[in-house]
Amino acid sequence: MSLVWLFATPFSLLFIITVTTGGRSFVLGVIGSLLLVLSTVGTGIAGDATWYRLETKLQDFFVASPVSQIGYLLGIAFAGLFFASPALVVLLPLLVYVGFPILALPIALLSLAGVWLFSSAIGYLVSTFTSNLRNGWQSGLLLSVIVGILPPVFYPAEILPHNILLVTYAIPTTNAALLIRDAMGTAPTLPYWSPLIGWFLIAVSLAIALAVTSRVARWRQH
Amino acid sequence: MSAIEAVSLSKIYHRSKTLALADITLTIRRGEIFTLLGRNGAGKTTFLRIAATQLMPTKGQMSVLGHDARDEPFQIRSKIAVVPQEGGTIGPLTPWDHIYLTLLARGMSRSNARERAEKTIGQLELKQYRNQPADSLSGGLRQRVRVAMAVATDAELIFLDEPTLGLDAVSRRRIWGVLNQIQKEGRSILLTTHYIDEAEILSNEVAVIDHGRKVLSGSPAELLRNVKERVRVDIVGSTFAPEELNSYGRVVRLAERFRVLTDEQRGRELADEAMKRGSDVSLARVSLEDMFVDLVGRDEE
Repeated sequence: MSLVWLFATPFSLLFIITVTTGGRSFVLGVIGSLLLVLSTVGTGIAGDATWYRLETKLQDFFVASPVSQIGYLLGIAFAGLFFASPALVVLLPLLVYVGFPILALPIALLSLAGVWLFSSAIGYLVSTFTSNLRNGWQSGLLLSVIVGILPPVFYPAEILPHNILLVTYAIPTTNAALLIRDAMGTAPTLPYWSPLIGWFLIAVSLAIALAVTSRVARWRQH
Repeated sequence: MSAIEAVSLSKIYHRSKTLALADITLTIRRGEIFTLLGRNGAGKTTFLRIAATQLMPTKGQMSVLGHDARDEPFQIRSKIAVVPQEGGTIGPLTPWDHIYLTLLARGMSRSNARERAEKTIGQLELKQYRNQPADSLSGGLRQRVRVAMAVATDAELIFLDEPTLGLDAVSRRRIWGVLNQIQKEGRSILLTTHYIDEAEILSNEVAVIDHGRKVLSGSPAELLRNVKERVRVDIVGSTFAPEELNSYGRVVRLAERFRVLTDEQRGRELADEAMKRGSDVSLARVSLEDMFVDLVGRDEE
């Protein structure tokens, strides 16, 4: 995972959105950038963990040790946060600057953490099935697009057709974006959605991702 | 209790349908250095990985330090450490970081980890490099760091998969020295190698693996008894006709050199004759290499 990539990509998108909308979507751009950084650092584990497994054989080293698979996953995931920190240091204050209430920061942080953990779990899961390094990096990029760009994080959810909107509820970044907008008082009224449902959906998707990862991810090769 | 006990162990890789191990039965005693010797692709790494709970077997049983490798991996993992084959190091981390952080990750206390890391750095002569980033070190030094990561642990059983692959002679001997030291501490070692001298010098017991099967096992001395000849005479040059050499014993062609395997008396006679004819000649006892070549493949005669 590259520090430069994690900094440049979200700010590039923020720049494009701001310029093309004349600043009208700046706030959405900030929210989207925050979510993109954390989802990308998580899905990027698909490449990092593949490298650790195939190139450095670090995973082999830790399999044959008291370190658990979840411990290993969390270790790699936390290491990724280091690369995300420069972008977060800029984006979090920017979020407050555009109107996010400081007292509601725990809401933002909790929803961001849910996105980060979900993305890390699926990134790691994919890495354990990847047979070469190039596929690992590419899988991470693809997951980043699916989790961090396609859902309504950089654009308003209310413009999506109803049936597509319902599908995006399954992705934690959609709910995190709506929760952040709700804390700012700018969340739209959407079918079958409320903040409580948003938290519930983040929790459920995270639980499913962790459960599937712990059962299906290949710690010991078959 | 043995360190490792394998009974009718088999492994088929499903994707490639390769039979990597076929019906291997093997016992490795505690406190010994046991070497799996074989050509590339023989199945040594597969056996090691199953024992180290990194890979599931297809059939058979394997117990490691008294625990079933299939059903009780967690109980085994706290007692073992592995140096995988051809792995790498983490570039910006120093040798000290690699060893110390590994010990912490394994649950060791900071003071204990510091003490063991210091000791191991000294044992593997990494002191002058301890604070240099790993990506600035040579391949040989990086391999020493990886061996150190395993040696520094308090594991009862250490697995080393081709630990001296690609290293110079000095580095190899340094690692051998450390392995001998940790064996004297009562720890067990399972080593894979295709370096025959390594197997011969280090091991209490050797098992020869070929095409996934155990061909032979025993101490180096026991294995040598499988070679009926006692000495080998190497002659460089063409001062002998092939029929002449055949009359002395079994002839093996090694590039420009002829190796004649024979008994001691005929060996001395041949060596004397070769010297009289002005050939480069050497006379030595047969080695594990001769046994190995005999068992798993001959060179062209």
